[in-house]
Amino acid sequence: MNNNEFDVIIIGGGITGAGTQRDCAMRGLRTLLIERSDIATGATGRNHGLLHSGARYAVNDPESAEECIKENMILRRIASHCVDETDGLFITLPEDDLAYQQTFVDACRKAGISAEIIDPELAKRLEPSVNPELTGAVRVPDGSVDPFRLCAANMLDAKLHGGQVRLHTTVTGFIREGDTIKGVHTRNLITGEERDFYAPVTVNAGGIWGHDIAALAGVNIGMFPAKGALLVFAHRVNNMVINRCRKPSNADILVPGDTVCIIGTTSTRIPFDECDNVSVTPDEVTLLITEGAKMTPSLSSTRILRAYAGVRPLVSADNDPSGRNISRGIVCLDHEERDGLKGFITITGGKLMTYRLMAEIATDAVCRKLAVQKACETADIPLPGSEEGSYEAVAQKIWEKPSTAQKAAAARMGSRASRIRTRDRLDEALICECEEVSVGEVKNAIERLDASTLTDLRRRTRIGMGTCQGEFCACRAAGLLAKAHGCIDKERDDLKEFLQERWKGNFPIGWGDTLREAEYTQWVYKHVLGL
Amino acid sequence: MKLQEYTSSSHNFEECMKCTVCTAYCPVLQVNPLYPGPKQAGPDGERLRLKDPFFFNYALKYCLNCKRCEVACPSGVKVADLIQAARIKYDNSPVKWRDRMLASTDFMGHLARPFAPVVNAVTGLGVTKTMMDAMFKIDRRRTFPSYSARSFEGWMGRHEKEQAAFPEQVAYFHGCYVNYNNPRLGKDLVKVLNALGVGVQLLEKEKCCGIAMITNGMKTEATKNANHNVKVLSKAVDKGLMVLTTSSTCTLTLRDEYPSLLAVDNSAVRDFVIMATRFIYERLEKGAELHFKPDFHKKVAYHTPCHMEKLGWGVFSEKMLRMIPGVEFTMLDSACCGIAGTYGFKRENYEASQAIGKQLFDQIKTVNPDVVACDCETCKWQIEMSTGYPVTNPISILAEAIETNKD
Amino acid sequence: MKFNTVIIGGGLAGLTAGISLQMAGKSTAIISEGQNALHFFSGSLESMEEAPQRVVDLFAQAGISLHYNPGYRLMPMGTFKKSTLSLEDISLFPETKIGNKALIVSFSGYHDFFCGFLQEGLEKQGVQCRVQLLSLPELEHLEKSPSEMRSVQIARTMDLVWENVVREIRILLRDEDTVILPQVFGLKDTSVLSRIRQGIPAQVVFTGTLPPSVPGIRTQMLLKRRYELLGGTYLMGDQATGAHIHDGSIHSIVTHNLGNHFMEAENFILASGSFFSKGLRSNPFEISEPVFGLDVEQADDRSDWYNPEFMREQPYMKYGVTTDASLHAIKGGEPIKNLFAIGSILGETRPELGTGGGLAIRSALEVADQILKQTAE
Repeated sequence: MNNNEFDVIIIGGGITGAGTQRDCAMRGLRTLLIERSDIATGATGRNHGLLHSGARYAVNDPESAEECIKENMILRRIASHCVDETDGLFITLPEDDLAYQQTFVDACRKAGISAEIIDPELAKRLEPSVNPELTGAVRVPDGSVDPFRLCAANMLDAKLHGGQVRLHTTVTGFIREGDTIKGVHTRNLITGEERDFYAPVTVNAGGIWGHDIAALAGVNIGMFPAKGALLVFAHRVNNMVINRCRKPSNADILVPGDTVCIIGTTSTRIPFDECDNVSVTPDEVTLLITEGAKMTPSLSSTRILRAYAGVRPLVSADNDPSGRNISRGIVCLDHEERDGLKGFITITGGKLMTYRLMAEIATDAVCRKLAVQKACETADIPLPGSEEGSYEAVAQKIWEKPSTAQKAAAARMGSRASRIRTRDRLDEALICECEEVSVGEVKNAIERLDASTLTDLRRRTRIGMGTCQGEFCACRAAGLLAKAHGCIDKERDDLKEFLQERWKGNFPIGWGDTLREAEYTQWVYKHVLGL
Repeated sequence: MKLQEYTSSSHNFEECMKCTVCTAYCPVLQVNPLYPGPKQAGPDGERLRLKDPFFFNYALKYCLNCKRCEVACPSGVKVADLIQAARIKYDNSPVKWRDRMLASTDFMGHLARPFAPVVNAVTGLGVTKTMMDAMFKIDRRRTFPSYSARSFEGWMGRHEKEQAAFPEQVAYFHGCYVNYNNPRLGKDLVKVLNALGVGVQLLEKEKCCGIAMITNGMKTEATKNANHNVKVLSKAVDKGLMVLTTSSTCTLTLRDEYPSLLAVDNSAVRDFVIMATRFIYERLEKGAELHFKPDFHKKVAYHTPCHMEKLGWGVFSEKMLRMIPGVEFTMLDSACCGIAGTYGFKRENYEASQAIGKQLFDQIKTVNPDVVACDCETCKWQIEMSTGYPVTNPISILAEAIETNKD
Repeated sequence: MKFNTVIIGGGLAGLTAGISLQMAGKSTAIISEGQNALHFFSGSLESMEEAPQRVVDLFAQAGISLHYNPGYRLMPMGTFKKSTLSLEDISLFPETKIGNKALIVSFSGYHDFFCGFLQEGLEKQGVQCRVQLLSLPELEHLEKSPSEMRSVQIARTMDLVWENVVREIRILLRDEDTVILPQVFGLKDTSVLSRIRQGIPAQVVFTGTLPPSVPGIRTQMLLKRRYELLGGTYLMGDQATGAHIHDGSIHSIVTHNLGNHFMEAENFILASGSFFSKGLRSNPFEISEPVFGLDVEQADDRSDWYNPEFMREQPYMKYGVTTDASLHAIKGGEPIKNLFAIGSILGETRPELGTGGGLAIRSALEVADQILKQTAE
């Protein structure tokens, strides 16, 4: 057996790819995941991080709604360290039609989503940030989920089941024999190394980029890139998810996630060549703040940390210019059946919430091709980190008297936080002060979670995601990365790229304290450090 | 309102730029590695605490609420308020007996005063100190403030009529210290104000400002006192009286800690509560005259107490002292003396307390003044105990320097 | 309170103006909203192509020795930067080469000094480097705190135990001609710098760390002390919140702490810095000056405030309050007779005065001279 042969190759390190790899690996397959950048760089990491109850889809898309509530309950069990069980409110504002509430609640109940109409006064007590003028409220089992953590945990579990992961590696072409895909040509974008890998089945889990991957294999899947813009606020203004109880529209979801909260989103059709470089326009910023402040007035005076946009990988069905009426339903294409191309499967559509189901469907398809009988277990076995319950319990179990940074690590890593318990006091020193990330946690991400750049580290540890957006932690972490990789010259460029990436999200909302912080950061890096 | 128009954030902690300046000025951080420092304990910790109170760190108790972080902050973040507010909100550990005793300055003074000679003798005894150390963890190396046998309130009662005769009146919030430990200071203030043609009256039964209760986790008791004091202050203010004070800590508490830490609305009285040194300086600036003793001479070194620094009013005490002929004035570098009210009395804090103050003590010894002037009673105990130099309120120095008809 | 001049802002510009006026016998007060940008001072004054004796003297009288030596200095990222007038901490070299062999010394557990970047940068210049980390028992108390192995805290200890560091380095030193150390020395006592240089038989190059800057804090402390010794009134932690303007002149200003006790003066100087220091304020619609509502030069459209490339020059950093030829601040198109603007609140609206430290000092001296001249007339 050669070390470049696998049972299945998965292209795409988003949540669908990671989930598929986990499922395949748990069913005993030898798996390789190839990702041209880092984990969760596409739509996976560029959304609200909403643990949908399904209520949002109940009226228009009952199928999605049912999938959501089922997966919602599964994720609470298997991914407890990635999930925050906040619950959610669907509020009616004076300008909304209160009659919609009943339609909504009926649809929810039909989909199996518990939806309880509550008194607006109670809603205000439960969630004090909500617009006090609300005329109605419905409580649903929404929550939030950290997509980076979820993606990393799936990939980690795949690796624990013998899977291999190659990040920063792009597929340059397919190895094709007649009407069969036999493998892929790849190039490592950091080292330049070119390698071929072989497997009887390749899964295209490239999200919106799956369109291009399919094209590379000679098949066409009509995808539909729709940009959605979001804003991150500097702290958790709300502790429950807040939605508008009306037909889904712009900027009508506010999700508390870790130390921040996120308002979104918009929907704009964009050409494919813009998918790699989406940015948020001033008009989108204005829209998000204006609409957001209607649900939660204090957003109009809360510091905004950054603006970002993602591209929804929708499969086009009609010519709706908004893209909103397209089902977020799961699409699994066996290209042998569809296009006569053997050994190639595309899994797309769907959403973060239903990644596990998508992975199950894709893995079932893979197993059919390989004649593997083993059943899916991903709905029952917890992800690494989620085995031991709440982070409070985990932190206390590991450290007895945990410090704030240790508590924060337990909240991020779940039971895997025990890996950073160390006898070396110096590993407890903080690298990121905003999010309380220690040297030990950064080292763990470098050594065990394949982080090779600062941006990779950010996704795995939250360094640079706090208020200062990497002002100090970036160069501290750069020092650790340089030491671990022994490649200092590249690290200097990495640092510049990281700061550029942060700035990209800052300048669209560059005023007030954000501009002060940016001035300070630019001053420190240029004049004090001499980068 | 236009969105995001005025400032980017109405949440003060978000204005933190993570510049770390506060950590350079925190006296506790310099001596106690268990304290996370003002930035971590304040704005950084606040984001985590908003996520989940689980992230509250009990080491916040090491903050001595000196507010030097706030004075240093270039962004106007109320760092110390954030820390104290978090303690009030999240620290539900029971208040120790020792802390309750130290915090109840009013109650303790009330009990001890009639037996002052005995209490003073006893608290000064080695055996008592050992016992207090063992039983209550009050450090044996501490000198306890002595109690006065007669309260200031009693003295004022006896001079009520004579004070009422002055055409212009002010009210005086004397605080526990003047009432039970040092009525002399109150009498000095009356002397100076009378010399300026102003009569002094008491509030309608003031209570302890409550700062020691706040820092010792007794929020309910502190709020009770605050509500009471705002009520009696309002009565004085309604009569058109200014309310003068001689303690910088009481002043800061009445003006700023009530609304920010206890959510007690004092907006109707806040601007009428001012330090006596400010009142007197403003009078002298406007041309009021005092008759100074011709032969008065004193080398005075002024120490700015932390809460005076926070009020930003050290300048009034300084300028008032500089106006006294015969005063040779030195401004000491503004630094914490380490006592922070009841903080330094606790055995666990003694070493830290003395280490914090060392810089100041050394400078005082170098300057070698006749007297150290300062507007805070707990600084006085700390500096006197640690340097041997006498410490006096600027009002008492002024009182000593002037001649009145009565002299 | 009445003064000849009230200065808003206690950083380099404000203190330079304050000291100059106090030296000429004028009574002044400085209102400083917290500490200032000197805490992030790199140690070299920008745009000081020449070194006016007056500036060197002004600093020397405060106990700060500046040296003028156009050349290059080593930056924390291992790069070199052109510099001229610098604090004694900073070594300036005629070329971007510091020696043949260098020993880079830091402390274990200290993440704010970048030995790796320094090493790589210097090795590119042909300097052979060796990195050594010291573990000093005296720093153990800092290691215990996860957030406090930082420049100022280390510097406090170093003021007491610098001799141990010298001893350790003497043991470590082989044939290196240069020793590179983080700028964590001489916080309170500048003589430590020269004593370390004397104690180590190689050239010693102190190199920057992440903020706060130890040489910067020392500079701020010494300038403030000098200002107060000259009789200046420094109100730390107070904020100017408004002004009373009559007939095109400022009569007095209101501060947060003093409330209805206004600060009156014949002249006012605005030295409140740029965005970080809150001298300039921005919202989604405009950039403004908060105390007096002065005219601010700026692009109308917010999208023009930024360059999307982080490392490029940013337009917003060039914005500042507008002034007339003699640095009088302009409001509603009219200069205010007794209000001057100095330092970084000018942005790059007065390019002839330079940027950064050079701008602060030049504009401060120019305004101080004008005030003195006016009174002389």
